[in-house]
Amino acid sequence: MTNITDEKTLPFTLEEVDKDGAIAEAHETLERFADSRASFLKKAALATGGVIGGGAALGALASPAGAATSGDVAILNYALTLEYLEAAFYTEAGRMGVLNGPLAQFARVVGQHERAHVAALKKALGSAAVASPTFDFKGTTEDATAFRQTAQVLEDTGVMAYAGQAPRVASNAVLAAALAIHTVEARHASWIRHLNDAPPAPRAFDQPRSMEQVLAAVGRTGFITRAPQTTMPGGSPRFTG
Amino acid sequence: MTLSAVLAAALTATVVLLTGAGLGSSGSSSTPTPPRSTGSEASLNLALRQPASVSQTGTFRFGNATTSWWAPVANAAPAYASPSPRARVVARLTTRTPEGTSNIVRLLERVARGGKLWLKVSLPVLPNGTTGWVLRSDVGGYQRTTTRLVIDRGRLTATLYRGARSVYRAGIGIGQRRWPTPAGTFHVRNRLTKFASPAYGPVAFGLSARSAVLTDWPAGGFVGIHGTNRPDILPGRVSHGCIRLRNGDILRVARLLAPGDLVVVR
Repeated sequence: MTNITDEKTLPFTLEEVDKDGAIAEAHETLERFADSRASFLKKAALATGGVIGGGAALGALASPAGAATSGDVAILNYALTLEYLEAAFYTEAGRMGVLNGPLAQFARVVGQHERAHVAALKKALGSAAVASPTFDFKGTTEDATAFRQTAQVLEDTGVMAYAGQAPRVASNAVLAAALAIHTVEARHASWIRHLNDAPPAPRAFDQPRSMEQVLAAVGRTGFITRAPQTTMPGGSPRFTG
Repeated sequence: MTLSAVLAAALTATVVLLTGAGLGSSGSSSTPTPPRSTGSEASLNLALRQPASVSQTGTFRFGNATTSWWAPVANAAPAYASPSPRARVVARLTTRTPEGTSNIVRLLERVARGGKLWLKVSLPVLPNGTTGWVLRSDVGGYQRTTTRLVIDRGRLTATLYRGARSVYRAGIGIGQRRWPTPAGTFHVRNRLTKFASPAYGPVAFGLSARSAVLTDWPAGGFVGIHGTNRPDILPGRVSHGCIRLRNGDILRVARLLAPGDLVVVR
C-alpha cells in the first residue's frame, strides 16, 4: 500500500505534474520577497519535487518585514504562538511512548509539519518573533485516548484560527503563506478525525474564529504555563560552600 | 522603541494573558471532548485537561544515557514508596527550594495505576538517590535536556557534555575527606547570581545532592557548584562538600549549564 503520508514516496515529481510551468511560475510569484536562502530552498524544493507547499510558504514568508503591515506582523505572531503549541504537543507525544501504528505515524508527520511552520514563521518575523511559551500538556501526551481527542481539537481550532485571520491580512505574500499553512492544518484535522472515526469533513462551510475567541479557548486548557523560576538574581546560596 | 518591538511586546502580553489563564484554570480532571464531536462550538471549548482515566500498560522510562527529563513541582504533595496513595510516604515535595526558586524534580519512570498517571522522581533528601512516586497532576510541564556535568572526584575535574560530546573541562575543588562530596546522579535545581558572598564567586548552582555529614548546615546541607575567592587552592579537596571552580571557569560553565541539567558525581 502506498504510504500517503510520506512526501518522498509520492509517485510523481513536480516536473511531471507541472509540464507547462504554472506551478513553478506561481512559486516564483510567491517568492518575490524571498532572500537568497529562501531562493536556495525554492530551488531545492523544485529539484526534489517535494515539499512544494513548504517551499512556497517559506519563500513567501522569508522576509515580510518590508511588505507586511504592523497588523500582519501581529497576525504572524499569533499564528506562531499557536504553532509553538502544536509543535510542542506533537514533539512531546512522540517521545512519551504511548502511540502506536497509524496514530504514531500521524504524530510523527504532523509534528514535522508543525515544527516546519514554527521555523518558517520565526524566520519571517525575525527579531519581532515572540518567544515560545512553556507548556504543560497535563498528561494528554501520555495517554493515547487523550492524545487523539486533544489532537482533533487542536487541529480543528488551528483551521478556524487561520480562517479567522485571512480577511484581516493585508499583504498578499503573507496571505499566500498563511493559506499554505491553513490547508495543511485542514488536512491534519481531517486525518485525525478519520483516525478518531469522526466525520473528516463535517460541514460545507467552516466557521472562522477570532483571535480573541481562540486565545481565550487555548488559555482555558491550561496548556500554556508560566515558566518555572529557576534563576534568581540576588538569591543567597544556602548550600555547603 | 521600534514598531517591531512594540508588536512583539503586544504579543508577549498575549502570551502572558494566556499564561495567567492557564494558571487560573482548575487542575481537576474533566471529561474530554468526545472525538465524534462535529461542531465548531464543541471544538472551541477545548475541554481538555488531564485525562479522566488512563489505561497505559507497562512502565515508561524517561531518558537514556544522554538525555534526561525534569519538571517543576506544581503542588506541595507527598511522594510515595509505590504508585498508590495508600503507600508509605517517603518525603513531601515542596514547590520552592531553600533559595526561593521553583523546585524541580528529575523524572525517572511513569506508570498508570487506578486510572491515574504516576511518576517516579528523584527526591532531594537523604540518603542521596532516594526516589518516590508522585501523581502526574502534582508536577508541571516536562522539560528535556541533553546537557550533563560529570564530576570526577579522583581526577578533580568537571567535564560538561552535550549529548555524547564533551564541550568543556575544568579543574575543581571538592569536599575535604571529613566533608566528602557525595557520589550519585543529581540535577541542577537553581542558578543564583548577584549575591553578596565572594566565597561563592559570581555564579552558583544549587544541586539536588545533599551532604551526608553537614546535615545541620542551613537548609539541611545541600551541595552546590560555584566560584571561589581562593583560586590558589584549586584543584584540591578543599570544600565543605560543594564543587568549586575558578571564577573564569564557573562563568564559562554558566553559559552552558542550566537548571534541570544532570550532574553525575563519580
